[in-house]
Amino acid sequence: MTEHKDQEQLQEQQAAASGEAPAAKDTTKPEAAAQGEASAEQPAEKGSAAEAKPAEAPEGGTGAAGRNEGPASSGVKAETSGRQAASGEAPASDGEKPKRLDPAEREARRAAALAARAAAQAAGEAPAGDGEKPKRLDPAEREARRAAALAAKAAAKAAAGGGDEGEGAEPAPKEPSPNQPLLDKIVALIRDQVAPDAVEDQYINEVDSHLPVVVVKNEHWLKTAKLLKQSLKLDYLINLSGVDYETYMEVVYHIESFQTGEKYCLKVRTDRDAPSIASVTPVWSTANWPEREVYDLLGIQFPGHPDLRRILLPDDWAGHPLRKDYEPLDPEV
Amino acid sequence: MKGLVKGLGVTLRNMTKKKVTYKYPDEPMKMPNRFRGVQHFEPEKCIVCNQCARICPTECITLTGKKNPDPESKVKLVIDTFDLNFEICILCDLCTEVCPTEAIVMTNNFELAAYSRDELFKDKEWLTANNTNVREENNVSLLKAKKGGAE
Amino acid sequence: MALRTEELLLNVGPQHPSTHGVFRIVVKIDGEIIKEATPVMGYLHRGTEKLAENLNYTQIIPYTDRMDYVSAMTNNYVLVSAVEKLMQLEVPERAEFLRVIVMELQRIASHLLWWGTYLLDIGAMSPFLFAFRDREIIIELFNELCGARLTYFYMRVGGVKWDAPDGWIQKVRDFVPYMRERLKLYDDLVSGNEIFLARIKGVGRYDAQTAIDYGLSGANLRCTGVKRDLRKDQPYSVYDRFEFDVPTRTEGDCYARYLLRIEEIKQSLRILEQAVEMFPEGPVMAKVPRVLRPPEGEVYSRVESPRGEIGCYVVSKGKDSPYRLKFRRPSFVNLQILPKLLVGESITNLITILGATDIVVGEVDA
Repeated sequence: MTEHKDQEQLQEQQAAASGEAPAAKDTTKPEAAAQGEASAEQPAEKGSAAEAKPAEAPEGGTGAAGRNEGPASSGVKAETSGRQAASGEAPASDGEKPKRLDPAEREARRAAALAARAAAQAAGEAPAGDGEKPKRLDPAEREARRAAALAAKAAAKAAAGGGDEGEGAEPAPKEPSPNQPLLDKIVALIRDQVAPDAVEDQYINEVDSHLPVVVVKNEHWLKTAKLLKQSLKLDYLINLSGVDYETYMEVVYHIESFQTGEKYCLKVRTDRDAPSIASVTPVWSTANWPEREVYDLLGIQFPGHPDLRRILLPDDWAGHPLRKDYEPLDPEV
Repeated sequence: MKGLVKGLGVTLRNMTKKKVTYKYPDEPMKMPNRFRGVQHFEPEKCIVCNQCARICPTECITLTGKKNPDPESKVKLVIDTFDLNFEICILCDLCTEVCPTEAIVMTNNFELAAYSRDELFKDKEWLTANNTNVREENNVSLLKAKKGGAE
Repeated sequence: MALRTEELLLNVGPQHPSTHGVFRIVVKIDGEIIKEATPVMGYLHRGTEKLAENLNYTQIIPYTDRMDYVSAMTNNYVLVSAVEKLMQLEVPERAEFLRVIVMELQRIASHLLWWGTYLLDIGAMSPFLFAFRDREIIIELFNELCGARLTYFYMRVGGVKWDAPDGWIQKVRDFVPYMRERLKLYDDLVSGNEIFLARIKGVGRYDAQTAIDYGLSGANLRCTGVKRDLRKDQPYSVYDRFEFDVPTRTEGDCYARYLLRIEEIKQSLRILEQAVEMFPEGPVMAKVPRVLRPPEGEVYSRVESPRGEIGCYVVSKGKDSPYRLKFRRPSFVNLQILPKLLVGESITNLITILGATDIVVGEVDA
């Protein structure tokens, strides 16, 4: 849409309102952080851009590591970069390829840009100019810079990758979660009692107070649910939600035990074309209406459910609204 | 029987108490300062940044800008039309919160009942004329931004 | 000689005063005895979860106001706390205290509304007027604080929108003893009333096992003796700093639920009393980016709302709007037990049992 345009316009307007020259448009200004970051966005596209932006690999590395510590450390950085950070984003959207960046990526890139600037100053150079004005450099320096830029890029990528994977793939070794024993216990129990291959995936969701998450294979789900209620005394089904991940569907069960106080998150994945997951209403009566709701809004079948009808929408409704490919019959409504 | 009598006693005792109800339509109701009522709009202040239209959760604001007739001015765009659809506006305050120039502000006026839905479609002129009881504290986030609190 | 009876399908609602909204229940009755009950809902379904997928996080908050419109503050909180968890934001202390104060005021307001309307449902007119009069004080406090009387939209990710205006905290402080006095009056007015007791004692009874199996929460669960209050069991915000009790009863009937809610008002007053005393200085908003883009991940946040456990499951893909947002609405879950409770009851108890569950239809249908 025109969001990009809007942003541009908005910036202009705001700048005009405050009586400043529109920084976003000013390409000759040697504000290295802003420009540096702008071209750091597309280093691959312009060889000269990469040259103009030297960066030190270890610095980029610390930037990436800092990111992994979470927003606490990035807050500090944001403070130091202050306005540069704000204006640094604008040129990015001014480029040919405006893209929305997630904070992790952005943070990493900002770190790289800052490192680049520091390196440039250390080398006694004028702050690196913008990408359109390549400079003559002696080959040795150029080589060194290219290497540095590449390293910074790799670091940025690694950090972004870390963000993408969530807590799954941390590059640095981390403290074992306090809930790791719980996860090991439930996984061992399922593998032992249900089937050796019943667990598809397992991890600790650190953001969510270290909640142990287990992905159970669809065909083993009902047996697992019964087992969990009996052996682990997981008697309270907190929440049941369905998610459409576009390549597959997932139903998420948050389960708790009133007797032991343990909490788990269990997930069951199903095929998107003929979604079907065994109903757990016989195990936890709570599941009755939430399952109907998931059926209603996502179209997942729950074989074994006593009364699987639409619950919130009218019976003659076409489609399942929470599916990502849902097209409303009448878009105006 | 005792409980019944006790309850009746409470009722009887309250009969002599002072009234707490307002005579509302006859006596207008005074709302506190921060009350979120129907917006007031000042076209001169608007810089057509479109932020209010974009932040609106129900998309009830539509606006268009035109070139500033005064070519000397720094402001390139001025507001042309500004419509607020009160059929769907939820008075959430987000438009006034994002407005960088306080062109759109809340008032304490809340009486919106109308005989026709068309009357709920308020245009620039109506909103500009709605200039009574304008809220004093509109700029809480703007102030914060100036102090470096937000962003 | 027994009267000849025959089965009859009776439709209650969607527009019925006792359902407090547009909720319909189809009952099959034989004489006065309910044989089967089928709740039908969705009349107030606005698709909040679907709408949320196309809105950014700040824009979703006003929508949560409209789910449980009797307790908008806790709804605000559950969403912002989920996003804060996801972004690992540190919220200023003053903001957390303000949140606790408004949430506890909201709990009182919500319970008062329930108290008034429940008694109205079962035939007592004047308690309704008493309750609304006292609720009005809280509503006025909220109005002064955030400029709205019902859909507050007060909380933001990272804090609250407004700091308390001058003298507001004092007003809250004054409210506590006033409300204590009023509660005594309420007790005199209703709690000992023999007609009222005959009407609700022993009605709609279930045991702890059933309650847990049906996933009930709030007073509906505590009335069976299960000591569960998320404010105590998994303290969120600054609840771990206050001293309060979790009242429970073991009868499991409507009367137990009634007494519990009255008792919860008292406990909320205790929390309020401590919170205004400990109220710290400082900012009310953390440093947050203007556009909220929580990192990729998922989080389930749970809060003790007046009706039970309200939960919010957010799946973020790093965008400014959630990939999936799911609310665990306590009314929706609590209502599930209704068909089971109604079977075998007299038709007059339908209202008694439905009312004691304390549902808000905006939340049932979301």
